[in-house]
Amino acid sequence: MNSTELNSKRNNYVAVIGLEVHAQLATQTKAWCHCEVTAHALENTKVCEVCSAQPGTLPVLNKKVVEFASKMAMATHCKINDLSFFDRKNYFYPDLPKGYQISQFETPLAQDGYVEITNANGELKKIRIERIQIEEDTGKSTHEGEMSLINLNRAGTPLIEIVGKPDIETAEEASSYLKQLHSILTYLGVCHGNLQEGNFRCDVNVSIHKKGTNVWGTRTETKNLNSFKHVEKAIENEIERQVEILESGEKVIQQTLGFDPETLKVKVLRTKSDAHDYRYFPEPDLIPLVITEQEKTKWMNELPELPKVKQERFVQDYSLPVYDAEVLTADKNLAHYFEQVVKNYKGEPKKASNWIMVELLRLLNEFNIDVQKSPVSDFELAELLNAVFEGKISGKQAKDVFIKMFDEKKGALEVIKELGLVQISDTSALKELAEKLVAAHPTQTEQYLSGKDRLFGFFVGLVMKETKGQANPQVANDVMLEVLNKLKK
Amino acid sequence: MKSIYEAHLALKNKKMSALELLESCLSNRSEKNNAFISVTEDRAKSEAIKADEKIARGEWTSYLQGIPYSLKDLFVTEGLRTTAASKILYNYIPPYEGFVASAFKNAGAVLVGKVSLDEFGMGSTNENSAFGPVLNPLNATRVPGGSSGGSAASIAEGSSLVSMGTDTGGSSRLPANFCGIVGFKPSYGRVSRFGQIAYASSLDQASPMGNSVLDIGIVMEHLSKKDPHDASQVNLGQMKIVEDLLKIDGEYFKGKKIGLCMELIDGCKEDVKKALLQALDLMKNNGATIVNIELPHLKYSVSSYYIIATCEASANLSRYDGIHYGYRKSHNGQLEDTYKESRSLGFGEEVKKRILLGTYSLSSGYYDAYYSKACKVRRLIAQDFNHAFLNCDVIFSPVCASTAFELGEGPKDPVQMYMNDLYTIPANLAGLPALALPFGNGADQMPTGFQLIGKQFGDEALLKLGRSFEVLTGKKF
Repeated sequence: MNSTELNSKRNNYVAVIGLEVHAQLATQTKAWCHCEVTAHALENTKVCEVCSAQPGTLPVLNKKVVEFASKMAMATHCKINDLSFFDRKNYFYPDLPKGYQISQFETPLAQDGYVEITNANGELKKIRIERIQIEEDTGKSTHEGEMSLINLNRAGTPLIEIVGKPDIETAEEASSYLKQLHSILTYLGVCHGNLQEGNFRCDVNVSIHKKGTNVWGTRTETKNLNSFKHVEKAIENEIERQVEILESGEKVIQQTLGFDPETLKVKVLRTKSDAHDYRYFPEPDLIPLVITEQEKTKWMNELPELPKVKQERFVQDYSLPVYDAEVLTADKNLAHYFEQVVKNYKGEPKKASNWIMVELLRLLNEFNIDVQKSPVSDFELAELLNAVFEGKISGKQAKDVFIKMFDEKKGALEVIKELGLVQISDTSALKELAEKLVAAHPTQTEQYLSGKDRLFGFFVGLVMKETKGQANPQVANDVMLEVLNKLKK
Repeated sequence: MKSIYEAHLALKNKKMSALELLESCLSNRSEKNNAFISVTEDRAKSEAIKADEKIARGEWTSYLQGIPYSLKDLFVTEGLRTTAASKILYNYIPPYEGFVASAFKNAGAVLVGKVSLDEFGMGSTNENSAFGPVLNPLNATRVPGGSSGGSAASIAEGSSLVSMGTDTGGSSRLPANFCGIVGFKPSYGRVSRFGQIAYASSLDQASPMGNSVLDIGIVMEHLSKKDPHDASQVNLGQMKIVEDLLKIDGEYFKGKKIGLCMELIDGCKEDVKKALLQALDLMKNNGATIVNIELPHLKYSVSSYYIIATCEASANLSRYDGIHYGYRKSHNGQLEDTYKESRSLGFGEEVKKRILLGTYSLSSGYYDAYYSKACKVRRLIAQDFNHAFLNCDVIFSPVCASTAFELGEGPKDPVQMYMNDLYTIPANLAGLPALALPFGNGADQMPTGFQLIGKQFGDEALLKLGRSFEVLTGKKF
């Protein structure tokens, strides 16, 4: 099937997509012991008797885990269970030293929530959340030729699994849902959200069925994606694969797939028949998790302003277009940066928004720098914009100044001074210059006075040239007109 | 001199030194009994010398100072091999100190060694040990009982004054009963399980074994401390009971109501039954009232226990996979084969049997019929006890229908062996404290005895009754 053919066939199908997100909680220490959580330590140095599963050890729940998970549950409108339980999920793998993962199976921490995304038609769409459960991460296996190496630094790192309902229909929706979750998690400060380091990973369930029917197809699960782009690719790729299967008269079978970031394609890992029987049962080493009304109230009061609310406020308070507000509030730190700039900037917030979205984000993305570590601080950006607002420099000049500020980590005024970029707006000085220049060009003056109006530009150009472009163009214009008009009389 | 308290007085009055006490214990140790997996003679001597130095300076930290004790090899000891009597941990040296080991260490006690057990605590005869069976010091043709057989034997042979056993379904009370000593299983959650190698987490409880109830009280003061490493430990504060126990006399039984389920006693052999009735008479004659109680669901306790315990064990023993520590066997270096070979050759037969049983019971499609149902039965048994305790202070029960088994009986009829746990299992299922006391002898001159089961977290009250009984039998300290 060629791609046009495929595309037209594809339009006959609807996709049903459900996502399971694993987010590492940003606690200082692990879920069941006092080992530090960090992705930047020498292998097997953040390990103790508990997380290496020495005989006789027991887990003790880190209270911060409950607080962080509960805050996420509240921020996504979930109902928190007063009483929830831990279970053991049994399977053998070398990076799981206990031989079971502590998770929540029967009764999770929270259930029945939702987040809102904007769909392709610009409408708000609710994506329901089935449950949020607390569990633990495994260690890491590295395979080198004949050898396999285990690093247990990550073992016992707290995770929450956010199980979404299959309310998603397209790859784009999936990606906005994930971005929304990611943004809420980082706003709450309960997850570092670093995708490369695997702080935020996702399993994708996809099935398709013919438009007009309501019998869903067989679904496949693609495991362990850690980039928004990969999720989109994996979904598109999987939908196409299923369309091809169905169109050729075959049946989709229930399978677990993996995504290859090299080829951007999915590949089959295992089929249902060799699926695990995890033999879940209640974890006898942990007591039931009780969450009191007082705790809930305390945590609720501690919730920060969340992305959606901030977005609406940005539209209201700063008269920003929805698009700007969405981009600026996607990242808590970016939103903070914007608000700091606006606080010190004398002009319109929209101007600040333009500068941040275009100039700042372009360079930050290019060099992969976090906005918190931006070489141009919010204060300096406001200084720069004020210089433009006050007519000290032109907008065009400001762009050059900005790049130098970014490259050399220097303040706006310092760079402006260094480049000698002070705009001349002094009317009397410019008038003097204009008179001198007119007197120096008698031929052109005569031609202008005899009606060749288009020579006016020539005279303004002379001012700009003489001042090396530092004359305020508007002032130069006004002054030259005044000088020439005087001669007309 | 057999009890901690007597030895303590001797040390205090300078009748003997801690080193002399240790040496007498070491000389009492019999190779033939095979109670020990590791004898820590050098370490013990240096601990005893340290204790003597403190005594010489007049520093006393506890009754346990300078007292030789042994630890079931299920208790983790930092830097000291801990095997669980299994080949799979034959070379395992723990990198951390468990709660029980550190409690004894802090009290200034002297560790004679790590004693044998049925592998991972699974068995009633101490024949399921990778280090060979333990013999009953009172009669070499008999088993010492299990799984804490090494603990009981070390006390009975006089190589330790006290020993720490564990009790999941009777593992401290049965060997205490077979060897004529005292065994106490505290309420579930009373003593931290941190550093106690798990068999069945919801049933396991560290259990002191000794020559008197008073000694048990001495040990419990140290064991009842709150340990932040065990979430399932209930914070009831440290027990202060020794001074109370020293004041108790035979009068303590006056007005106490003893619950009795006659069916249980009727199930025992004649000589055991005779001893049980005599014990009851002694209580009655000293002012106790006997109340008949009913425990209708008790008959399901063995089946329920062997499902719950094996399910938990199947997960608890997953970490012994030949990868991270312990025994590894791998002919081709393939992961799955490494698992299979290490576990097939590393675990003994009884352990493998129980892992399979538990794995089966938890499997998809069987969970509701087995695990789930067993948990319901467990709740009903706990309810039976709650009802019974409305009418009595303590429940009187046999520990075993017979005196110590002959060696080699266990393997002949495994199911009958499981059924022998009928009397001890209910206290574990309900999480109740239970105290096994020696009383009388059977027709074979082997010890008989009984157990008293107390209300949940009524550990102190139970020990006081036990102390009163031992005073009635003429025991001073």
